[in-house]
Order: sequence, then C-alpha cells, then structure tokens
Amino acid sequence: MRRRQFLKGALYGTGSMIALGGCGSLTKVDQKTLAANQIAEKTVYSTCEMCTSRCTMAAKVRDGKVIKIEGNPNDSSTAGTVCARGSAGVSLLYDPQRIKKPMIRTGERGTGKFKEVSWDEAYTFIADKVTQIQQNYGPEAIAFASRINPQDAFFRQIAKAIGSPNTFSHEATCPMTKTTALEMTFGNPWIAADYGNAKYIITSGRNFFEGIHVSMVKGVMKAVQNGAKLVVLDPRFSVTAAKGEWVPIKGATDLAFFMAMANIMIKENLYDKDFIENYTEGFDKWVEAVKDKTPEWAEKETGIPKEKIIEITRDFAAKRPNALVEFGWRTPWTPNDYQCRRAILIINLMMGNWEVPGGYYQKKGAGVLQPFPDQAGYAKPTGGGYGPMPPAPKPSKGRIDGAGVKGTPGILIPVADGAVGQIPESILTEKPYAIKGWLVHRFNPVISMTESERIIESFKKLDLLVTCDVYMTDTAYYSDVVLPECTYLERYEPIIDQSGLIPKIQLRQPVVPLVYPDTKPAWLIYKELGQKMGIGDFFSFKDMEEFLERQLKPSGIAFDQMKEKGFWSPADMKPFYMRGKDPKAPAAPSLNEKGKMHIFSHEIEEAIPGQGIPVYTKYPQPGEGEFRFVQGKVAVHTNAGTHNVPVLNELMPTNSLWINSVSATKLGIKDGDNIVITAGKYEHKGVAKVTEAIRPDTVFCYHGFGRISPGLKRAYGKGINDNKLIPNAIGESGNVVTSMTFVKIRKV
Amino acid sequence: MAKQYAMIVQVAKCIGCQACTVACKFQNEVPDGQYRTKTPAIGPKGTYPNLSLFFEKEACQMCKNAPCVKVCPTRASYKNEDGVVLVDVDKCVGCKYCMTACPYDARFTNAKTGAVDKCSFCYEIRVGNGQKPACVSTCVGGALEFGNINDSNSDAAKLLAKYKAQVRKPEFGTIPNVYYIYEGVK
Repeated sequence: MRRRQFLKGALYGTGSMIALGGCGSLTKVDQKTLAANQIAEKTVYSTCEMCTSRCTMAAKVRDGKVIKIEGNPNDSSTAGTVCARGSAGVSLLYDPQRIKKPMIRTGERGTGKFKEVSWDEAYTFIADKVTQIQQNYGPEAIAFASRINPQDAFFRQIAKAIGSPNTFSHEATCPMTKTTALEMTFGNPWIAADYGNAKYIITSGRNFFEGIHVSMVKGVMKAVQNGAKLVVLDPRFSVTAAKGEWVPIKGATDLAFFMAMANIMIKENLYDKDFIENYTEGFDKWVEAVKDKTPEWAEKETGIPKEKIIEITRDFAAKRPNALVEFGWRTPWTPNDYQCRRAILIINLMMGNWEVPGGYYQKKGAGVLQPFPDQAGYAKPTGGGYGPMPPAPKPSKGRIDGAGVKGTPGILIPVADGAVGQIPESILTEKPYAIKGWLVHRFNPVISMTESERIIESFKKLDLLVTCDVYMTDTAYYSDVVLPECTYLERYEPIIDQSGLIPKIQLRQPVVPLVYPDTKPAWLIYKELGQKMGIGDFFSFKDMEEFLERQLKPSGIAFDQMKEKGFWSPADMKPFYMRGKDPKAPAAPSLNEKGKMHIFSHEIEEAIPGQGIPVYTKYPQPGEGEFRFVQGKVAVHTNAGTHNVPVLNELMPTNSLWINSVSATKLGIKDGDNIVITAGKYEHKGVAKVTEAIRPDTVFCYHGFGRISPGLKRAYGKGINDNKLIPNAIGESGNVVTSMTFVKIRKV
Repeated sequence: MAKQYAMIVQVAKCIGCQACTVACKFQNEVPDGQYRTKTPAIGPKGTYPNLSLFFEKEACQMCKNAPCVKVCPTRASYKNEDGVVLVDVDKCVGCKYCMTACPYDARFTNAKTGAVDKCSFCYEIRVGNGQKPACVSTCVGGALEFGNINDSNSDAAKLLAKYKAQVRKPEFGTIPNVYYIYEGVK
C-alpha cells in the first residue's frame, strides 16, 4: 500500500472542503469553523445572464471571490433554483480565456492578428471610421446588431444619436415569427402562458426541458405532476417528448395539424362561442379557411393518423378553457412560420383560455395593472434613466429591411428587432443601399445567423466591424476592433421587468469588482464611445447608480432595497387573471386599440393580400437520400454563448448528428462513424449518432458547436456548426429559415 | 430516535438538466473533469416511434451496510451517527479498496487532495446549517428531496410513505439510503 502524499493534498486544497472534510460529526470545533465561514461569506442577489431568461440568482461571495451561484430562495417562481448554466457562471467569471483588453486588428481579416490597445485608442479608431462612413455613405450605412438585453439600449443609443435606422436584435434567428404572430393577433407581444394550471398542453417543437427557462420548467412540471396531458409534436424525441406523448410530426407541416384541430373543433362544436363573439373578430374567415382542412387531409400532410388528431383535439377541447397550445420559443422554421404561430394563437382563442388559469395572459406589469381599481395598488411603474437628451436626428433613409412600414410586407417584421439576415445581404449586394460599418454587441452572427461563410464573406466588404463581447467569439475574430465587456457578475444594468401574473422587477448588479480590470460594462463603453464621437449628451447620466435611481424613482422602491433583495414583487398579491372571476370581464390585450383580438388581420391582408387569415403552404419534403435538417437546444448550453465556458464545455464539448437507425443502415453508417453532411455547396464533417429517437426523414444536431475562432480554445473546431449548412434566406416576417434545408450524409 | 438522512429521487420529475451536477461541483470544489454526482440518460429504449427515456441521478448511495466502510483499512470511510457515509481525508491513504468494493462506482480519487472522494450529502457544509444538499436545493425539475426519514413529518419520509420506492442493486444487501421513485415514468 502506497501512502498518499497528504501534504500535496493540503497544498492544492482550498476552502471549506479541506478545512471541514476531516470532521466526523458536527462537533463544537466544526460549528465554529462554519460560523467563521459564514462571517467571511456574503450573498449578493442579482439576475443571471447565462441565457436570456433572466432568472433571479444569489451569488455566494467569500473573500471577494464568487464561490457559488444559487437560485434566489425568496423567488417563488424558481423555488430558489438555477440551472446548470446558471451555476456555471462562476467559471465564466474567472475564465482566463475571456478577452481582457481592447484590441485592434493588425493582420488580414480571419488571420487572428490583433494588438492590444488602450480604450482611448479603440474609441478613437471607431469614432474616426464611423465619421468617415457617415461622410461617404451617410449614417444609415452603419448597422447595429445585438443580443436583446436590458443593456443593449446603450448600444442602440449610439445608432439613435448618429441617425442610423438600422438597429437589429438576434430575434430573427429565434422567436421572431412568434413575435409577429402575437403582434398581429393581440397588438403586443408581452403575452405569456400559465403552464402550472394547465390541464392539457400541446407543444409544437417547444422543448421546455432542454431549452430551459426555470420558472417555465417548474410550471410545465407542476401541470404534468397534477395529471395534465403533454403532447409533443416534434420530428425528434426530445426530453420534453419523453415526459409526454411524442407525436413525430413530418417537418414543416405543423400548420396542417392545427388547421385540422380547428376543423374538428368547429365541426364538433368544441370551442368557446361566447369568447369568440365577445373578444375576437374575423372568426368567420377562419371557419372558411379550415372547412376543408379535415383530419384525413392533415394525416396526409403531417403523417399523424387522423384518429390521433381527432383524439388529441377532443381530449384537449374537453379541458376548455384551462388548456393551451404552446406558441413556441425558437420558431423560424419555414419562410412563413408566423402563419403557423397565428393558427396556434387562434386555437387558443377558440379555447377561450385568455386570462384564465391554465391559459394565456397579458404580462402584469405596472401599466397593465393600473386600469384595474383592485389591482392598481400593486403597480409600481419605473421610469427612464437617461435624463435629458437632445432630439435625435431623423434618419434620412428607411431601414434596409423595410421593417414596420404599413401596407408593405415589412409590416410583418417587428421593428425593434429587424430582419438581421438583411445586413450581410445589403453589404454584399448594396441593396437597397450599401452597409459599410457593422457594430456588434454580445451577438455572434457567424454562428447565430444562417450561412456562416456568407456572413464571413460579407465582413470582408466592410470598412468597419466592431465586436463587443466577453470572449474572442467567431465574429470578434474577424473584427477590426474587439471590445472586452465585463460579465454580468461585474456590472449594473437597467431595471429588468420580468412580470408574469404578478409584477416583478429585477436588478442586475456587480457581485464582485472587475476580475480583469481593463474590461468594462456596456453602459460605460457606449457612454465613453459616445463622448468620443461627439454625441455624449445622449448619455446624460453620471453612472449606473444615478441611472437606476432615476428609473426607480416613480416606483417608490428604494435602490438600496433592490440591491439588498435583487428583485421586487408584491408579496401579498395573488395571481391576477382578468377573466378569473367573470368570463365576460373586460380583458383587452394592452395597446390593442379596438379591444378585439384579430383572428383575421387587416394589417397582414393589406400588406400581403390573401394572408390575413392563416393559409397553408405545402412545403417540399426530403426526397430519396435526403434528410430535413433540424436543430435544437440542450440543457447545458445556451445558443452560441456558453460552449467555451469551462464547466459547461466539460459537460458537453461537442455535438453529433442524430440519424434514425433504419436510415443509417441504408447508408452503411454506424453509431460514432465519421460522416460528411452536404447541403448545396456547403459541407461539414461530423460524427453520426445512430438512434431510434428521430424520424427516418430527418437529422438533427444541437446548436452552437463547430466553432471557428481559435480564441475559443476549448470549443474551437469541435462538432458541427449547423448554420454553416443553412442558406441565409429571409422569411416573410424577417426571420431566418432554420428547417427547410435538406442534407445528404455520407460515411468517410 | 437516531436520525437517518436519505435522498429521494422522483425519476419522473428529473429532466436531466445537470443543475445538480454543476451545483455539486462548485459546492464541493470538485476538480475539473471529476464529479461526485452525475445524472445520465437511461435510454432512449425501444424502437421508433415507441420510446422511453428517463434520467437517473448517480452518486454515493449512503448504504447502511456500506462495503466501503468495511474494507477501509484506516477507518477513513465511516458512517456517522446520522446515517451518512463520509470520508475523513486526513485518514485516507488512497488505497482504493473502497472504490473496488463500492457496487455503485460512486467513488474516485480527488485529483487535488489525493484522497478518495464522493457525495457527502453536503453533510458538513450545508446540512449542519439546516440546508439541504446543493443538488437538492437547485433541482430545476423538483425531482430531489432530502431529509431524516426516521422523522415521519419530513418531506422525505412523506414521499416514501406515499410512493413505492426502489433502491439500486438491492441484491448486494447494502441497504442504500438513496431511494428512487418511478411513479409516472413513461
């Protein structure tokens, strides 16, 4: 027996585990040690940013260092939990691979050659280039793209101040078709589902248990535990499908399923006539649209037996109104996916599940509660933080994507988000005019947008590409200037409204001082850049403390209280459903002038004649030897954001291509084989995962892998980058199109 | 009555999200590439499209008749008065007898300390403070429960009273204190 070198262990060991590991039971000494640890330890409540769900969190800080991130135990919506990604925030914070200094490119684009510079040099470089582009092409030639985030307002402020209309979010790559459908049907997108009280949930692709939003997981799980049926339409057997009834629907045919549901509900009188009459308009046109959309027809389209469609519809309708069809999360599957989302919303309206338990509701922020006398006391409105600012110059040209223009197809594109896929197209084609500068904040077009190589090709035509991020992302790698942002654990952000059935506002605040002293928070980066560009008076706040004090002032909630608790929500308020007591109570969605929900949309009809009511598009299906290529989320990673985070990379460093065992056998492919995936002119190497858990005509991979920036040392070159294979098409509501690519697979 | 701490896993509520896995790593400063607990998928089993898939949390099973305790030559592995199997790192000589004896493959040599390591139910650092283990506290699906099962009022005891529970590898006679409830598993 070899004696273990205890000294070595003691040297490497740190913290309480070693200090306390030897105790057999909780003796007096141990209790003392515990007490000492508690004194040195403090808890800071803040808001997570390991994905975009913005869950509350609690950081345990010992000796100025974050040792653990937990849920906020005072938040009933998460029951004090965080997911794996939330916990792993610590390893992002202290990751030596974060970018630590501003950098300016010194070699050709894509060679990865940069020099470290001072912030002032970086700002000067950007300001000079922006001025040049403004002079030569106009301010609209500079596009701005960011991941939606409370702090991206500071980034967009630069665009506003110089008069560029071309601001974009990442949303076109994710939920945009849903957003369009909500806006066109309800007049606003701030609508959510009350999963926990639902007695039947149908989800079309929404993968609650792998694309994790903690409070929604809690809600769906509560419903299922209480006996709710969960029906999952998905070509792939996801974890969500495993917790319910899997219905392996043929890709791009979901709308047929929902039209057949409506057909059955009308024919068998299974819908809420009073609700339709009192709260909606245009139902007659829907009746007309679905009259021939029989279960027999839908069986041919979807591959789901008509008996199954009828059974699901009847059982679902029997739970009226406490049942819902999920409207989706990452939704841009087809060019006109918004029509499928519209149909889903209409089914929900037919169920009369608006503003009742287990249905959909308007998120209960202060502005929504104020008109209700018995609820107004819970409304604590927040205000703006910027302070006085000069009038912004009016852009002299329209947006490159035509978003938001009434009477044109652009009306379908949510103007706050834009069709981000248009940026590379306008760079390359100079239509409707050329984009010469692209500023990117916490967004990674190379991996998050479709057709990676086309995105990179577009970069090469730019006079200026700037990326602000925490890592040397694949887009940063091609940029002229790279700005190192600090992490969410080191910065303040504007107040975050996370209201559900009760109001809730949250704070994101520094948990520890900057780990890398030359990184900065976004608010400071864009305030300082604004000053350098001569537009500093658009940032007339001293610091975030002042900004947040201004925001909180109308609410009467003290800043110190927010810092102490991390969030505010009225403890004594019960979930408020506008139709909870009286099914005929006033319950118009906010911002909806007429008060009626639009089953038929005049706005859509005006823009695209014939489309005011959802119309089925029969999309092609894969031919012999082809597979529909679909992608999805996994519980331990977020989009393209976390694949280089040490602990998460360790849990899942790569992905593989799921292929049905029967299809694989035909191609001579065995589990673990090296393969090449081909889509048009693009190819990608990968590894096959041969499985029963997918339709034979479909292949799947988890998104966000196959990274091309060598600066992401852990994630670089590992796995399949799905977006390399998908063409950059722009859908009708400005969405990218994720699920219309057919691929071929061969063994190598 | 003496305490008996136990963990209850409601398999139907586990979504395999690995929140437990990561929380444990930070709570217990488990070195890179090593884990005291992990929750692998069981399945998918079956043939397309009739499939089943669930997740089973793996960790020390906190056996009443713990083979690791029996074989440990230095008494580094021991069971405390609350029924929790622990490792005294000061006494562990790294002989790995316990690793061989464990039917659940729940032990490993900690790359930092050189001592054998495993799940401790967070006994010293959380349970003593009245908290539940890190994994239980952060379980997103709500699948995990923990408590003194000799106290019939504890949430853990109530679950055991309500549902039929199983232990892993009962044929070894180890009498584990981690219980798996399969109610509702498809």
